[in-house]
Amino acid sequence: MKVLFLGGFAASQVEWIAPAIESAVEIGVFTDEHDHARMAAALSDAEIIVTEAWRAGMPPASRLKLLQLPVAGTDGIDRAALPSGVTVCNAYGHEIAMAEYAVMAMLVWSHRYFDIALAFRGGSWRDSGVMNGPLHRELRGLTVGIVGLGQVGRETAIRAAALGCHVVGANRTIGEPPQGISEAFPLAELDRMLPLCDVVVLCVGLAPETRGLIDRRRLALMKHDALLINVGRGPVADEDALYAALRDGTIGGAALDVWWQYPNAAEPARSPSRQPFHELPNVVMTPHCSAWTDGMARRRGADAARNIDRFIRGEKLLHVVAQS
Amino acid sequence: MRALFLGNVAADTANGVRAELPPELEIEIVADPKELTPKAAAATDILVTNIWRTDYPPALRIALVQSVATGIEWIEQAALPRGIPICNAYGHETAIAEYVLMVMLAWSHRFREIESDFRLRSSWAPSWVKSGAPHGEIRGSTLGIVGLGRVGREVARRAAAFGCHILAANRSPRETGDGVERIYPLATLDEMLPLCDTVAICTAFGPETERLFDARRLARMKPTAFLVNIARGAIIDEDALYATLRDGTIGGAAIDVWWQYPDPAEPERRGSRHPFHELPNIIMTPHCSGWTAGMVRRRWDEIAENLRHFVKGEPLINVVTTT
Repeated sequence: MKVLFLGGFAASQVEWIAPAIESAVEIGVFTDEHDHARMAAALSDAEIIVTEAWRAGMPPASRLKLLQLPVAGTDGIDRAALPSGVTVCNAYGHEIAMAEYAVMAMLVWSHRYFDIALAFRGGSWRDSGVMNGPLHRELRGLTVGIVGLGQVGRETAIRAAALGCHVVGANRTIGEPPQGISEAFPLAELDRMLPLCDVVVLCVGLAPETRGLIDRRRLALMKHDALLINVGRGPVADEDALYAALRDGTIGGAALDVWWQYPNAAEPARSPSRQPFHELPNVVMTPHCSAWTDGMARRRGADAARNIDRFIRGEKLLHVVAQS
Repeated sequence: MRALFLGNVAADTANGVRAELPPELEIEIVADPKELTPKAAAATDILVTNIWRTDYPPALRIALVQSVATGIEWIEQAALPRGIPICNAYGHETAIAEYVLMVMLAWSHRFREIESDFRLRSSWAPSWVKSGAPHGEIRGSTLGIVGLGRVGREVARRAAAFGCHILAANRSPRETGDGVERIYPLATLDEMLPLCDTVAICTAFGPETERLFDARRLARMKPTAFLVNIARGAIIDEDALYATLRDGTIGGAAIDVWWQYPDPAEPERRGSRHPFHELPNIIMTPHCSGWTAGMVRRRWDEIAENLRHFVKGEPLINVVTTT
């Protein structure tokens, strides 16, 4: 059976996925998403396609049965454009890296690491204990509020709780609070949770109910020295309102890994926002890389490969997100 | 009874603990040791400080030295009466354990470089959107803790929640637990070092640990290994570590404790005679890993408790040595 890796990103994942597939398969790679003539030939006999992007106007893929995403995010898939009879599955393995990132950002913020390390490299002992310098803050004892108790949120909670944080969470649906979480709020009652938190971590994907969730009004409900961490999706926070809140000190700071705009071929170094977040001293900013670890690639590759094997063996598929 | 709080850290301590001390204890605060008068020194029963030197005025009545820090190497015992207890203070272990986890995470996630390239140059290179080279994570990595005391235990507890494999080396036998899988006697440290992705030095400074990490031991570590020192600078051979980092014999280091410190004559004195600050593979901080508000509060509580014990003639806590 043929497994077609479609597009530049999927092609970069062949090294992590292909060796983990146990069944005998033929690996095809098609990188140039714009060459529709040659793509038509590649798609015509593909039953399994690995890609994170499926748009309207793709050549027919009449034999396609499994569309396996090499990522968790499904926002690149136009479901209406899929041929009928296709099962779409995503892959996990990113949650550990993202949880490490979230806790790292909390630690770096409370211990003022960037600031202290920069000053000391320049020769200043102003932050030293031996000079009786200004004290920094510990994570222990702080209240961490996690918005979105999916896999990322739960892994973050476990680690923050081990550091002695008081961890609360908000989720669309709530049952028993997951490990490490002392209280879970329904998402509709987020306003009750926000004022309690020293750190708020956004671990939700983009959906109608999460777009603009953290707006000007909700930012004003947060503690004035609170840290906002976003590893979910940029537009979960209102771009202009967040910039203003950080500039004006409505909240203490932010660690942002996800953005409102992304680079493209014309603008490879495109700024991540129309607002100058990079000029703010209370922002830590990274280019959507929190999940981007070697461990993630290994786990996610194994996850996608396991599903391809299940499909070939006729077993139940994991992580089904859509069926056309 | 008179207590002398000497030095700027002790001066802050005096203000922090004053309300919890017995009213009969008289308090004298001298923030700058240069201003210590012979009269004040001679009238002192309890010395609360982090520094005492042979060239200070005689203080023959001192019956207790309460250090405001954990390490007491800046208190010159030869300048004190014989047979008196020196007590130290803890409360720093939470802060230091958080620091160790922070530098482990920041190192493997390449947090500072990625952040600064993105802020200054809008570089998306490390991102998934550019299919950039992935960075590391600490899950599944092996952490070796040298010195399984209060700090080492707290480090182990936290690292375990992150899915690290944890080994430890200690002078005296210790129980496993807190996530520690195996404990090596300090004499067999050489067997542990090649297994570790991170080595965290959390041991006290003493004759057995001075230059414990020399060129030979550093060479036993993995070429990708990360060395963290939050204990005392002199546990690592200064020249050997500089050469090791410069030559890439190990991956990198996070150094919070140094071989030399600033003094009034040289307030910006570098922490080493080598230019560590020119190396890209070192995280360097100015002896501040334990320097948190939480540490101060816990430490003040311990110091106040000990002074109350002494005034009432009750057994002392945290006795390190007797002069």
